[in-house]
Amino acid sequence: MAQPKLQLQFAHSAVLRYGLAIASFALALGLTLLAQRYGFRNVEVPLLLFAVAVTAWHAGPGPAALAVVLSIAFFDYFFTEPRYTFYVTYSDIPYLIVFISFALLVAWFSAVRRRVEGDLRQARDHLQIEVVERTQQANLLNLTHDATFVRDMDFLITFWNLGAQELYGWAPEDAVGKHSHQLLQTVFPAPLEDVHAELLRTGRWEGELKRTTAQGTTVVVAARYALRRDEQARPVAILETSNDITERKRREQEIENLNLELAKRSTALEAINKELEAFAYSVSHDLRAPLRHIAGFTELLQKKVSAVVDEKSNRYIAMILDSAKRMGNLIDDLLAFSRIGRAETQKTQVSLAQLVKEALTEVRQDTEGRNISWKIGTLPDFYGDRSMLRLVLVNLISNAIKFTRARAQAEIEIGCADGNKDSLVVFVRDNGVGFDMKYVNKLFGVFQRLHDSDAFEGTGIGLATVQRIIHRHGGKVWAEGAVDNGATFYFSAPKPQGRLWKP
Amino acid sequence: METMNKLGRILLVEDDPKDVELTLTALEEYNLANEVVVARDGEEALEYLYARGKFKTRSSDNPAVMLLDLKLPKVDGLEVLKQIKSDGKLSMIPVVVLTSSKEEKDMVASYRLGVNAYVVKPVDFHEFVNAIRELGAFWAVINEPPPGSVRK
Repeated sequence: MAQPKLQLQFAHSAVLRYGLAIASFALALGLTLLAQRYGFRNVEVPLLLFAVAVTAWHAGPGPAALAVVLSIAFFDYFFTEPRYTFYVTYSDIPYLIVFISFALLVAWFSAVRRRVEGDLRQARDHLQIEVVERTQQANLLNLTHDATFVRDMDFLITFWNLGAQELYGWAPEDAVGKHSHQLLQTVFPAPLEDVHAELLRTGRWEGELKRTTAQGTTVVVAARYALRRDEQARPVAILETSNDITERKRREQEIENLNLELAKRSTALEAINKELEAFAYSVSHDLRAPLRHIAGFTELLQKKVSAVVDEKSNRYIAMILDSAKRMGNLIDDLLAFSRIGRAETQKTQVSLAQLVKEALTEVRQDTEGRNISWKIGTLPDFYGDRSMLRLVLVNLISNAIKFTRARAQAEIEIGCADGNKDSLVVFVRDNGVGFDMKYVNKLFGVFQRLHDSDAFEGTGIGLATVQRIIHRHGGKVWAEGAVDNGATFYFSAPKPQGRLWKP
Repeated sequence: METMNKLGRILLVEDDPKDVELTLTALEEYNLANEVVVARDGEEALEYLYARGKFKTRSSDNPAVMLLDLKLPKVDGLEVLKQIKSDGKLSMIPVVVLTSSKEEKDMVASYRLGVNAYVVKPVDFHEFVNAIRELGAFWAVINEPPPGSVRK
């Protein structure tokens, strides 16, 4: 590496280059004169030409020209008659011309050789650097876990990294030199011509390939091709990076299957829902009619015979009427309950204070003759379906009225409890008969009742309806109570974070 | 108040004989049952209105009100309602839907077709009798029927 450095210095310093011209010329002249003194003749021409050649070789055309001029001048001065003058006789001219021609020829020849050699050296250095770089790159490529290999334009593998060995099972020595698609039995997602056309047009290609490993198993890989071109932009090699997505594809397939199954089930569910709707309609229409007939004709019977039959018979008739009425209420409540499940919620901003007022008006009939002290706190606005939320409040308030019936002074409180910043919590509290906390999880079930129907009438659907409505609003319902010590029912709903919301 | 004593004819379209009997009983209690014509399905109702089939020889005047059940054999109540309200000659006859169905879609469909009232039959007999009585009194007695229906 020292030699190119020296060359570099010569090439860059004019003083050194011209100094070399003068020095080599002076050395040649000195050696000639020394040779003459010791009786060696006719060495001047080869020595001076050698000096010119050395100068041209190492210092370039400028210094070579100087060396040529100096050589000619001193050749004339020392070695042509008359000696020790720069005078040129006619007889010397041909001799001088031959010398000049030789000097120029040597200088020119040296310069050309020098340039050619320089080019060669440059090419060699370039190649050396490239070899080093490629070796480094290849080592780096071995480090990645991705399978990476290079193949030439005839599909012959020229490089094969450790990742490729791990993925496909072939060692580099088995793979290099093989036809890549034949070795791996590659199945392309598109015709191979299209893949190559895209690769040549854009320089890259990406896709999923199916391949067979050395062990004979099929793998799915996500592959990326990059085209390598030489300095003349001719495609020379393809670098492929791929990673194993077999597992991912399997999961995707699994998910797709599950989705299909889900779609099937949801269609089936939809059909069942339609059937249920038809059932509800039928209940609404067909069950009500016979019930009306039972009630109607029993009442007509009562009217006709009550005066002539005994008390027991009259009681039976009254019981039939009572049961028919209860069944009517059950059907109505069940229908309302099923309608909540089917109806779309129409959400708006609702004033709970206003809804409580409306609910109180609706249950006023039940409060007649009662002594109830109402305590109604500040209530927030709610975001939800107005009529459904109203039903929630009516249910909870009428429950509170019902279960405080035994109290001389009933106390019912409606207020807003501390929720967190994401949800609102509203409660209805009473000082009624309460309930045993061990049955708390039964409270919200359909047809679940904690009191016998002689003591407190009801169908057991009210709280189930409340829960269904609140769940449809994304909220929760819960209750606290103690036997003979009142009950508190809570419901919450998330505060909406939209621009429609005006707190 | 003389007109109050005149009773408009009521066309009761009802397939269930028990319901017919209960309705007639309710109307009888208030002496409203004398001028009731019963059609047992949608087709019969249309035959009566268009005076064909077994009603070919009926008197030419139209009923003062029609009490129409929705769930009917052959031609259902909504279809009957649709035909009446789209026929220029019949469209003025007041139609009251009297049904067991509380379904909103039935209610909406009926009002869309131009029904004059929609009454859900109460399960409770007292309420049922009250509803029928008030309906009969209003439509057959108080309400002035459109031209073409004659009161006796």
